Amino acid sequence: MELAKRQTATQSQKLMVFVLSMALYGLATLFTELIPKFQAGVVEFSVEFFLFIPLSLSMLFDPLSAALGAATGELVFSEIMLGQFGGLGELEKFLTVTIGVYVAGRMVKNPANRKMVGIAAITGTALQLFLGMLVDIMKVQFAVEDFEAVAGLPESVYATEGFAFLNDLLFSGILFCLLPTLFLVPKLYGKIEPLLGMQPRSEKTQMERFGVKAAVGCLIAFVIAAAAELLATSGISLVEWEADWAESKTALAVGLVVAAALSVLILAVMKAKADRGQKEQA
Amino acid sequence: MNIIEIENLTYSYPGAKAPVLNHISLQVEEGDFLAIVGNNGCGKSTLCKTLNGLIPHFITGDFEGKVLVGGLDTSQSDVGTLACKAGYVYQDFENQIVRPTVLDDASYACLNYGRKDYLECGRKALALCGLKDREKDYIWQLSGGQTHLLALAGALSLSPDVLILDEPIAQLNPEHADKIYGVLKELNEKYGKTIIVIEHHTEYIADYCRHVVLLKDGSVVWKLPAQEALRRVEELQESSIFPPQVTCAAHEMRERNRLVCPVLPTTVEEGRQAFAGLRFSGNQKRREETEKEQENEPVVRFCDVSSSYRSVKGEPRVIFDWLNLDIRRGDKIALIGSNGAGKSTLMKLMTGLIRPAEGDILINGESILKKKTEDLSKDISLVYQNPEQMFIKDTIEADIAYAMQVRNVENRAERTQKLLERFRLTPWKDRDGRLLSGGQMRRASLAIGIALNPGILLLDEPTANLDIATRKEIMRTLADIRNVTETVLIATHDMQLVCEWAERIVVLSQGKVIADGSRDEIFGNEDILRRAGIRPPEIFQMGRSLDRRALCYTIHEFMQSFEEADI
Amino acid sequence: MIGKIKRKLSDNIMDKFSMDFLRNQVLKNAYGNDDTVIAKLDPRVLLVWYLFLGLVPWFVNNLYFLMGCFLLVLATTIIAKVAGLVLVLFGIGVFSQTGYLFVVSLFFGGDASTIIPLLTLTLKVAICSLASVTVFSGLDPDRLSNGLMWFGCPERLSFSISYAYRILPMLMEEFQNILLSYRLRGNPPAHDTFMGKIRYLCYQVKIIMHAFYPLMLNTAKRSRTTVEALEIKGYRFAAVNQEVRKMKLSSLRVTYNDMLFLAISVLWISVVVLLSTI
Repeated sequence: MELAKRQTATQSQKLMVFVLSMALYGLATLFTELIPKFQAGVVEFSVEFFLFIPLSLSMLFDPLSAALGAATGELVFSEIMLGQFGGLGELEKFLTVTIGVYVAGRMVKNPANRKMVGIAAITGTALQLFLGMLVDIMKVQFAVEDFEAVAGLPESVYATEGFAFLNDLLFSGILFCLLPTLFLVPKLYGKIEPLLGMQPRSEKTQMERFGVKAAVGCLIAFVIAAAAELLATSGISLVEWEADWAESKTALAVGLVVAAALSVLILAVMKAKADRGQKEQA
Repeated sequence: MNIIEIENLTYSYPGAKAPVLNHISLQVEEGDFLAIVGNNGCGKSTLCKTLNGLIPHFITGDFEGKVLVGGLDTSQSDVGTLACKAGYVYQDFENQIVRPTVLDDASYACLNYGRKDYLECGRKALALCGLKDREKDYIWQLSGGQTHLLALAGALSLSPDVLILDEPIAQLNPEHADKIYGVLKELNEKYGKTIIVIEHHTEYIADYCRHVVLLKDGSVVWKLPAQEALRRVEELQESSIFPPQVTCAAHEMRERNRLVCPVLPTTVEEGRQAFAGLRFSGNQKRREETEKEQENEPVVRFCDVSSSYRSVKGEPRVIFDWLNLDIRRGDKIALIGSNGAGKSTLMKLMTGLIRPAEGDILINGESILKKKTEDLSKDISLVYQNPEQMFIKDTIEADIAYAMQVRNVENRAERTQKLLERFRLTPWKDRDGRLLSGGQMRRASLAIGIALNPGILLLDEPTANLDIATRKEIMRTLADIRNVTETVLIATHDMQLVCEWAERIVVLSQGKVIADGSRDEIFGNEDILRRAGIRPPEIFQMGRSLDRRALCYTIHEFMQSFEEADI
Repeated sequence: MIGKIKRKLSDNIMDKFSMDFLRNQVLKNAYGNDDTVIAKLDPRVLLVWYLFLGLVPWFVNNLYFLMGCFLLVLATTIIAKVAGLVLVLFGIGVFSQTGYLFVVSLFFGGDASTIIPLLTLTLKVAICSLASVTVFSGLDPDRLSNGLMWFGCPERLSFSISYAYRILPMLMEEFQNILLSYRLRGNPPAHDTFMGKIRYLCYQVKIIMHAFYPLMLNTAKRSRTTVEALEIKGYRFAAVNQEVRKMKLSSLRVTYNDMLFLAISVLWISVVVLLSTI
C-alpha cells in the first residue's frame, strides 16, 4: 500500500513536470518559429534559443519527464500547430532534444552547485547540436541524388553544417543556453517546487548516477533518429530496382488513370444519391 | 442520513512540520447546502481535497483518521470511484478545463471513465448549468462566468451526490455570482445534491446556505444553521469573517443600546422588521461633497477614441466607438460596469499598450500617439488585476526598485526602503512575490505601481480574489495612498470599495459612458443600476428599503442616518 | 496626409510583431477554418494521404512528378484556408532549408548545373511542408489527435495536442502581460541610430529570456491544478483502458467525401505519372 502510494505520487509529479515543460518550451519554440531568425550572411543561427527552459526544468525535476515534455511541446506547438510538421525529420529533432536535455538533467546532483549546472547545460546543448549536425549532413546526402558528383555541394554542406555547429555552440549555446540556465536554476531552486507540491532535489532525493543503461538508451534513440533519415536512401535504390518494368510504365499509368477516374465518377454518383436520401429523410 | 462523515482526521502535507488538519470530526447530511468559513490558511481547501480522495491518493502526506463519502472509505477507494461521489470545482477553475471545446470538456470525465452515454451526460450537465446553447463553442469564446459554469458542468457530468466549490464567486461580478448561486440552489433543491462551498461572501451564505462550519487552525470550531452562525458576529470577526452588513449594523446598534432586537437580522428582508422602529434623520454629507469642488484641468482626455479587438473569425469586435472622457487632476474615479464593458481596454489605452484605431488621447495635454510607452510610465502607472504578472524579479525589493534602477533615479535605494516600509513589506523584502500571501501580494503590486511617483495611477480590480479581511486591509492602503498620488482611477466590481473610496463614478456599458457623477447620482438612479448590472452594497439597499430618501453607503453612515424613534 | 499614411503603415508593421497578432494567427490557424472541406475529412484518410505525399517525393527524382505533387498540395492548401502567417513561415522555411545551399555552393565553384538537383530538393521539401500544412493546419486539433490515436500513437501525444490548443491562448496572455510589465517599467535603450538598434534588439532578446522566470513560476502554479483535475477526470485511468480508446475512436467515420478526396488525389497523381512517362 505504502509503496503503491508513492508510485502514484511520483507518477503525478512526472505528469506535472511533463505538462509544465511541454507548455513552456512549446510556447518558446513557437516564438523561435515566428521571430525573424538571426541570419548572419548565409549561415542561419538555427540554435534552440530557448533550450534553457527544459534544461533548467530537467535539473530541478525528473529529467526524463522534462525532456520528453520539451520535445513533445516543440512537436505540438511549433510543428503541428503551425503546420510545419516535416514528417520523419521531426523524429530526429524530437530525439536529439530529448537526449540532450535528459543527459544534462541527469548530470546535476545538486542544483545549488553552479559549476555542475554550467557544465551540464553546455554538455546537453553540445550533445543536442552535435547529433543534429550529424543528422543534417546525412539528410542532404541522402536526399540529393549523386551527392558527391554535384560540384561543390559536399564541401559546402560540410562547411556550413560544421560552421553552424561551432557557431551555435560558442555563440548561441553560451549566450542562450549556458547563461540563462545559470541564471535561472539557482533562482528557481526552492521556489518552484512548493508551487508544484514537491520536495526540492537534494543529495538525498537524487537518482542513481548516470549509468550504462541510460547511455545505451540514448544511443538507441539516436540510432532510431538516424534510421528515420536513412529510410530515404533505401527508397532511392528501391525505385532503381524496379527499372525493368519501366517500359510498361506508360501502360500501367494509363490503367491507373482510368481506374482512378472511374472511381471518382462512381463515388460522386453514390454521394449524390446518399445526399438526396438524407434530404428526403429530413 | 449523513453523506459525509469525517472522524478524527489529522493530515499534514509532505515535509510540513505541523498538521494542516487537526483532529477534525464532521458530519454532513444528505441534501445540505453547507458553507465552510475560516481565515486564510486554516485548511479549508485541504479539507475539501480529502473528500474527493486527492488526499491521500494523489497528494501524499501523513493521513490519519477516517473519511466516509456516500458510505465509501476514501482511503480504500480510488480517485475515479470517488469522483463519481464528489465533484470539485477549483478556485482557479480555468486551469481545470483541459479540452478545447465546451461539450468536449463537459463530457471528458464520463468518456474517460468509459460511460457509453458520455455525450448525453455532458449535455445534461451543460443544460443544468445553463450552457445548453454553447455546446460547440471554444473555451476562449466564453466569459469568465461561463467558464466557471463549465467547470461546474465538468464536475457535474459524473452526477456526483456531493459538489464542492472553492470560492465560487471570488472573480465574478454580482450578475454572474447570482447566476452561479441560482444554479447551485436548483441543483440542491430540485436534484437533491449536497453542496459544499468555501465562501467569504456572507451575504450569499445568508441567502443560500443552510449550515455553516467555522474552521480555525485546522479544527472545527462549530457547525451551526446558517442564520444562527451569522449572528455570532464577534466569533466570526475574530476569524476575519465579516457577517452581512445588515447583521453588523444591528449588532453595533445593539451594543450601543440603540436597538432592541433579540435576534440579529441576516438579510435585508429580516432587517426590515428588525429596524422597523428606526426613524430616518437625513443623509450624512461627506466632507468632500459639501466642499464646492473647483474644476481642475484635465490630465487625461479621450477625444473621439475608437478601439477594436481582432477576432478569430469574421469582423473585429468593436470595444469603443467615439468615446469622449476627461479625467481631471485630483480625481478619485471608480470605473464600473459589467465584464466586457471595456474597463481594462480603457486602462490599456491610457498607458499606450493599445493604440486607438481612431481619435487621440491626450495626457497632460500631449498626444499619446507620439510618446513611447516607457516615457509615459513617469506620468501614468498601471497595476494589474493579477499581481503575479507584475513580479518579474526574484524578490519584491528588486521588483519595487526595478523601474527606478533602469532609469537611474537618485536615492532609489532609500526610496525603495521607504516604500517597503509604507506598505509594511520590509520583513518579506527578500521573498519572491508569488510566495507571499494574497494581501502582501497586492500591497507589493501597489508599491511597484507607485515606485516612479506617477501623477496618475490606474488600478485594475485591486480587491478581486481577496478574502474580506484582506480586502479591508487593501482598502485602508488605498485610502492611505490617496494623498500620495494625485489622480487615481480604479476599475472594479467591488461596490463597497466604490462607495467608501470614490469621489467620482464613471459607468461603462457596451463601450459607452452611460453615467458619470457622484455616488448619490449613480446609486440613486435605478435605471442606471439596472442597465449596467450594478448592485449597490447591502447596507445601501437596507437603507433604501426602510426609507426611499436614504442614501447610506457604509454601516457607519447607516447608523448615523437612522435613529431610534421616540417610544 | 502623407504623415498619417506613414503612421498607419508603421503601426501596421509593428502590429505584425505584436503578441496579440501572433495569438490571433495561431488561433485562427487552429480553429478559424473548421468549416472548410479539408477540416471535415476523416483524419485517418488525411494522414494516409499525408504519409504518401510526405514520403514518396523523397524517393522520386522526376521533375514532372514532383511538380505535379506540388500543384496538388498547393491546391489543398488553398482549400484548407491556412492562415497567412503559416504560409509566410513556409516560404522562409523552404528557403532556409535549401535556398541558402545554392548560394553557398556557388562559392565552392558550383554553377547553374547545381540548380537542378537543388530545385528537386526544394520541391521535395515544399511538397512535404505543404502537405503537412494542409493536414495539420486544416484539421481540427481534436480530430487530428483522434486520427493519430487510431494509428497507435501514444495517448500522451494526442492528449498533448488538444491540451496545447487549450492552454496556448492562456499562456500567451500570461506571457503578454509579463512582457507588458517590462514595457511599462523598463527603460529600453534609444533606437534611433544603427548601434542603438542593435542595442535595442539585444535588450529585447534579454527581456524575453528574463520573462521566462516569472512565466515558469506562474505556469507551475497552474499546471498543479490542471494535473489534479486530470486525475479527477480519470485521465490516467483512461490512458490504459482499451474500452475508452475504442469509444474515443468511434466518432471517426469515413464518408463519401473522404473517398472522393482520395480518389481525386489518386487520379491526379496517376495523370502526372502518365505524363512523366510519355
